[in-house]
Amino acid sequence: MEPISRRQFVQYGAAGAAAAYLGGCASAPPPATPGAVPVDEWDALAEIALKRIRKSGAQYGDFRMLNTWRQSVRGQDRRISGVRDSFGGGYGVRVLYGGAWGFAASCDMRPAEVRRVTVLAIEIAKGSSVLTNDPVRLAPEPVHEDHVVTPYRIDPFTVPLEQKTELLLQAMEIMQKVEGIKRSRGSVWVQRDHKLFASTEGSRIRFDLLASNGRIGATAVDGRKFASRTFLTPYLRTGYELVEDARLLDEAPRVAREAVEKVKAPQVRAGAYDLVLDPAHLALTIHETCGHATELDRALGYEANYAGTSFLTTDKLGRFRYGSKHVNLVADNTEPGTLAATGYDDDGVLGQRWDIVREGRFVGYSTNREVAPKIGLKRSGGSNRADSWSSIPIVRISNIGLQPGQGTLDDMIGDVEKGIYIEGRGSFSIDQKRYNFQFGGDAFWLIEKGKRKHMLRDVIYHGITPEFWGSCDAVADAAHRRRFGFITCGKGQPGQSGWMTHAASPARYRGIEVMRGGAKS
Amino acid sequence: MIERDEFRRMAQVALNASKADHTIVSLRDRTGGTTRFANNQIVQNVNTRRYSVTVSVAFGARRGSSSTTDLADGSIAGAVERAERIARVSPPDPEYLPPLGEQQYTWRSTFNAATAKAGPQRLIAEAAEAIKLCKSAGLQGAGIVSAYVSAAGVAADTGLFAYEQRSRAEFSLTATGADSSGWVKNADRSIDELQVIERSRVAIHKARRSAAPKEVPAGRYTVILEPAAVAGLLGPIQWTLGAKGYYRGTSALSGKLGERVVDERLTLQNRPDEPHLLGASFNGSGLPSNDRVWLENGVLKELSYDRYTAKQHGVAPSYGLDAPHLSAPEPARDTAELIQGTERGILVTNFWYIRSVSPMDLTLTGMTRDGTFLVENGEITNGLINFRWHESPLRAFNQVEAYTVPQDAITMERTKMLLPAMRIRDFNFSSVTRF
Repeated sequence: MEPISRRQFVQYGAAGAAAAYLGGCASAPPPATPGAVPVDEWDALAEIALKRIRKSGAQYGDFRMLNTWRQSVRGQDRRISGVRDSFGGGYGVRVLYGGAWGFAASCDMRPAEVRRVTVLAIEIAKGSSVLTNDPVRLAPEPVHEDHVVTPYRIDPFTVPLEQKTELLLQAMEIMQKVEGIKRSRGSVWVQRDHKLFASTEGSRIRFDLLASNGRIGATAVDGRKFASRTFLTPYLRTGYELVEDARLLDEAPRVAREAVEKVKAPQVRAGAYDLVLDPAHLALTIHETCGHATELDRALGYEANYAGTSFLTTDKLGRFRYGSKHVNLVADNTEPGTLAATGYDDDGVLGQRWDIVREGRFVGYSTNREVAPKIGLKRSGGSNRADSWSSIPIVRISNIGLQPGQGTLDDMIGDVEKGIYIEGRGSFSIDQKRYNFQFGGDAFWLIEKGKRKHMLRDVIYHGITPEFWGSCDAVADAAHRRRFGFITCGKGQPGQSGWMTHAASPARYRGIEVMRGGAKS
Repeated sequence: MIERDEFRRMAQVALNASKADHTIVSLRDRTGGTTRFANNQIVQNVNTRRYSVTVSVAFGARRGSSSTTDLADGSIAGAVERAERIARVSPPDPEYLPPLGEQQYTWRSTFNAATAKAGPQRLIAEAAEAIKLCKSAGLQGAGIVSAYVSAAGVAADTGLFAYEQRSRAEFSLTATGADSSGWVKNADRSIDELQVIERSRVAIHKARRSAAPKEVPAGRYTVILEPAAVAGLLGPIQWTLGAKGYYRGTSALSGKLGERVVDERLTLQNRPDEPHLLGASFNGSGLPSNDRVWLENGVLKELSYDRYTAKQHGVAPSYGLDAPHLSAPEPARDTAELIQGTERGILVTNFWYIRSVSPMDLTLTGMTRDGTFLVENGEITNGLINFRWHESPLRAFNQVEAYTVPQDAITMERTKMLLPAMRIRDFNFSSVTRF
C-alpha cells in the first residue's frame, strides 16, 4: 500500500483547492440542509455516545450521524412518471468489546434515545464476544480532525425542478419521434450527505458530500423483437454540471437511432472473437471480476453466506498471475469526484492509493481496520463504508481502475481481424468465487479486418477471470480514460448498496468465447 | 413501533396541512436485528430502528412526493410543503389517478409476538446452535439469524386508511468444507418456526455429501431443482407480467394472454391467506391483497395492471404476487422420490446471480451454488463442480417431467414462495466453473 499524506488529501478535499481541480470554477461549502437536529448540535449527541462507550470499558467505539437528501426525477414514455424528494437522518453507534462488534442505530435524535442506542450497542458487543474465536484487533490509524467538501460548480438542489423535468421531456420527445421507437425513459438523480464521524480515539470528521447522475434511454420494437439503448453519465461526486455537460439532448437522437439499428441488427454468430471493450462496459467487468475478487473480507470467508468468497485467497497475494503484463489495476480513493473518494472511510481512515494488480500480478486487496491485520498489513486501505446511518460499515470495493496503456481506440480496432466492439452495460452474472463470468453489453459492433462494421444483437461473452485478463493485449492511452461507477453494488446481510468508481481506457482481449444471448430469430 | 392511532394522528397532521387537491400519506416503521456469523464466530451484530413518512400530493394531474425520517408535526408539515412545491412545478402526468377511496380489507395474521420479543440474546442463542453443529461436523458455518417487526400504513383525503403490523424472522446457513458447501434458508413470521437445528443439519449434510466434487461437461441434462432453485426461475416470470410492457410489445409474454405458456399442469396463485407465506393485507397504494390465479393449468390468465393501464383496459388494478404459490396435480411426495425416479440427472440446491440475458424470450443466466449433485440410477452418487446455466423459464417450465407438493422456497434474492421441487429435462448448462 502507498498511503498519501494528509496534506495531499486536504488539497483534494478542501473547497478552494478543489476549484483548481475543476478548472477554476467557483466552489463554496454547500448550504446547510434542514434536519431534526441542527448540524452544530451533532457534536453534543456524539459526546453522549462516546462518553458511554468509554465508560463501558469497550476497546473502541464510534458514532456516525448522517443526514441524506435525495431528489430523483424520472420520465417514462413522454411523461414525468415521478418526482421524489426524500430526507433521511439518523445515527449509528458501533462498539468493539471483548474483540466483538455491536452496532445499533436509530433515527430518533433525542438524547435519551442516543443513550438507549449506545447501551444497546454495548450490550450486543458483549453478547457477541461470547461467540468469538478470532478477536477483532484494529489496525492503527492516526487521529484525524477534518472537514471534507465535495467540489462542485452547480448545486443540484438549487437547479429549478422545471429545468430537470423539461430536460427529460425534451429528450424523450426527441427519441420517440424517431421511427421505430416505442418507449423512452430518462432520469436525473442527485444526493447530498451531511455526515459526522466521531470515534473514541479522538477522530472527528465532518463531510458535506454531493453526487449526481443523469440518463436517457429508448426502446425500439420491430415485429416481435425489441431492443434498448441507453446513454448515461457516470455517477460522480460532483454537482449538476455533470448532467449539463453530458448534453443529453444532443445525445438523444443518436440513442434512438442506435436502438432502431440494434433491433434490426443480425444476431451474433457464436464463436471466438477479439473483444474491444469501452470504459462504460469495462467498469462492470472490472467491478465483478477484480473488485469483488479483491475484497479481503470475502477472501477471509465473511461473505460466504451471501455475496460469496473469492478465488483470490490470501496465499495467492503477491504470487498469482491474474492477467497479462498490460493489466495494471489500481485502487485510488483519492481521485476527486470519484464515488469512494470521500476523504476518509467509515473507519475514519484516510483515503489512499495502492496497487491491486501490477503488471498482471495480484498484489493488493480492499481492506478495513478489522481485516487488514489478519494478513499482516500495518494499515487499512480505507475501504470500510456503510450505505446509511442505519448500516454497519463493511469492506467495499475501492475505486479500482485499469491504468492506461499506449495507443488509441482506432489503433486497437485496426489490429483486429474478427472481433466485436462493446459499449455500455447489459446482462452480467458471475459465480460466488468470481471465476466464471458472463457479460452482455448495451451496444455491439462487428469488427472485420480492422474496421468497425454494423451493429450486432444478442452478444454474450463468457470466460474464467484470470484467463480473460490474461488475454488482454492492449489498453488505450490516458486520453481515452473515462470514469463510470455504481451506487447499487449489493453486499452484506442486511443488504447494503456500495458506491465506487471504475476508470478505464478501452482495452482489447483476444480470442474470447461469444455466444448468442437469446433464441434464434 | 408507531401504533395505529399515532399513525392516524400523523396522517391527519399532513392532511390538515395540505392545500393540494389530493394527498396520500404512507408510513414505514421497522425495528429489529440481525446476528451474522462466519468462520464459526459472530462477525456482525446489529439492531436498528428506522421509520419514515412519505407524503404524495396532486394539484390536478401535477404531482409531487416527499419523505422524511423526522416525524415531528412541523417536519411532516414541511414534507407536505415540499411535495406541494414539487407538484406545482411538475408537468401534468397524463397517467395520474387520485388516491383510492375507502377500502375493505381482509385482515391477516401478519404479526408474531415471539419475533417482536426476540432481542439480540435470542438471535445470538440461535446462531450459537448453528455454529455448534458446524464445528462438530468439522465445517465452517456462515449465516444469519434475524428478527424484525414493522408497521405499514397508508391514509388519504379520500377516506382511505390502512395500517398493519408485520413480522419476519430469517435463518440462513452456508456450511463450508475444504472443497464443498451446503446451504439452507428459512423465513417465517415467527422466530419460533425457523427450525435452526433441523435446517442446519440439512446444510451440513449437503456440504459433506458434495465433498470431493467431480466435473462433468456442460450440456443439456435432466435436472432436479429443489424449491429454492425453482423460485430462482419463477421469480423472473413476474418481470414479464406488467400490462404496460405487454401491450407495447416489450414483454416476452406479449400477445399470449389466454394462451398456454408453461406446462399445462402448473397453476400459479397469489395466496395471501397462506400462513407459511409472508403476504401483506394491502400494498403501498392501499389496494387490498387478493387471492388471484395468474397461471391456470399453464395458461396465462392475468397481467399486472397499474391503476392507469387497468382503467384503460377496463379491468381491476392488480395487487401483485407477494405470496406466490405454485402447484400441480398428483405430485410426488418429496424430492427424494424425484431422485429415485431419475436415471441420470443433476440435483441443484440453489441458483445464484440470476440475470436476464434476452428479455425477448426471457432467457436467463445464473450459476448453481452450495450443493450440486450427480444422480445416477435413482441415487446421489457424487458432488459436482458448479455450472453456469443459460435457459428461459418459459422453455424450462414446458419440459417438466415430475414435481413434488409445494414446499418452502426462499432464495438469496427473492421473497418466500411455496413451490414444488421439479424434475425438468434438457436443462441447458452452458459452462463449468472451477469449484
